[in-house]
Amino acid sequence: MSANAESPTETQKDEPSTPQQPTEDSGTADEKKKIDVLLKAVGDTPIMKTKKWSVEKGRTVQSLSQFISRFLKMEANEQLFIYVNQSFSPSPDQEVGVLFECFGSDGKLVLHYCKSQAWG
Amino acid sequence: MAGRPTPGCLSDLEMESEEPTEVEMSSCFLDEETFCQCCQLLLQHSHSLCDGWSWEQVKGSEGYLRKTALGTGRTRCILDQQGNSSDQHQERTFSLSFHNDEDDEDDGAVCCIQEESSSSSVVQYEYHILYSCSYQTPVLYFRASTLEGRSLCLEEVWDSVHPNYRQRLQHRPWDTITQQEHPLLGQSFFVLHPCRTEEFMMPVLKAALEEHRQVNYIVTWLSVVGPVVGLDVPLSYCTQVPEPPHTPSSSPQPPSSSPQPPSSSPQPPSSSPQPPSSSPQPPSSSPQPPSSSPQPPSSSPQPPALGTKPG
Repeated sequence: MSANAESPTETQKDEPSTPQQPTEDSGTADEKKKIDVLLKAVGDTPIMKTKKWSVEKGRTVQSLSQFISRFLKMEANEQLFIYVNQSFSPSPDQEVGVLFECFGSDGKLVLHYCKSQAWG
Repeated sequence: MAGRPTPGCLSDLEMESEEPTEVEMSSCFLDEETFCQCCQLLLQHSHSLCDGWSWEQVKGSEGYLRKTALGTGRTRCILDQQGNSSDQHQERTFSLSFHNDEDDEDDGAVCCIQEESSSSSVVQYEYHILYSCSYQTPVLYFRASTLEGRSLCLEEVWDSVHPNYRQRLQHRPWDTITQQEHPLLGQSFFVLHPCRTEEFMMPVLKAALEEHRQVNYIVTWLSVVGPVVGLDVPLSYCTQVPEPPHTPSSSPQPPSSSPQPPSSSPQPPSSSPQPPSSSPQPPSSSPQPPSSSPQPPSSSPQPPALGTKPG
């Protein structure tokens, strides 16, 4: 396991690129809850320097995917794939909070990601 | 000859034991029997969810999974609701559709020729999951039409791809979704190209191999490709649908002579049985037995035989 604990849990770092959820200030305690997401690279995909992120429960997989793509400075012709349990890919519209409830362990959701040159 | 150096047999053997790429490569592909088994297992869960999948058999040999669903898409509307230019538009439309009727084609081309606005609308989708012998992977074919029955044209389908994948698709659309003849029905369908399937399947299959567990290839594959074209795959598929019985590639096992009747929720014996429900449940963490000692077929529930049509 790559539990590199030198990176503290980052907060709010994944927000600026997505203006879609400015409601965290006025939400209830439940809505403001965040979950820990651990991102693991697969194969030749670049490893993110910060692997552990604190993500709002209502955040979608697509939003997270966009964030990772920008973080890795991916090109337009590259596609990012995300895997849960290394057994399936969550729908882009799925909320990470739901994934955490179903597949979280040890207080975090582990997601593997893989960069692919082509689709098809 | 005495002076001839001996070939490096030992190093070759060492390389073979270090890199079982042959095993990995074979496990990245799907044989037709496993395809059918995975489909049947998916089908059973679909029945319990009333998710709409059905198995269609063609001439008693090849079959495919089929589902229709309503979704959203971006379609182009003819601007015939404007004031002054409506007549002209209507005339043009009429002549074009008349022309197309003559050719006996779907009038998908009507909307693509004119200048029109693109908007989000309800689209009727029909999805088919077929097995491709040449790629040894499943392939997703689909049709899309408006509620009025007009087929979407290729550009509209490209515009309807989920935003998560749209940028990549727009980069090389012809590599991703095109129109092809349905291999079994002979009708025009849109198809999501399968040539790179192994690229996104590889991480899952490799992990499964290393952890000595199986995956349901179809469920995993569908979870990746489905959302691209608006096909929703509920999370419970990923937790409730079991894997097909393991068949070692080196020694193919004969099919079970006594197929068990299909149950509503088949579960492998090693995992705790969970009733199928619409709310996704966390998967059991009990590991599958190592692949070197496969379970005898009689101890694990068999999917229904190919000939029987479920439900």
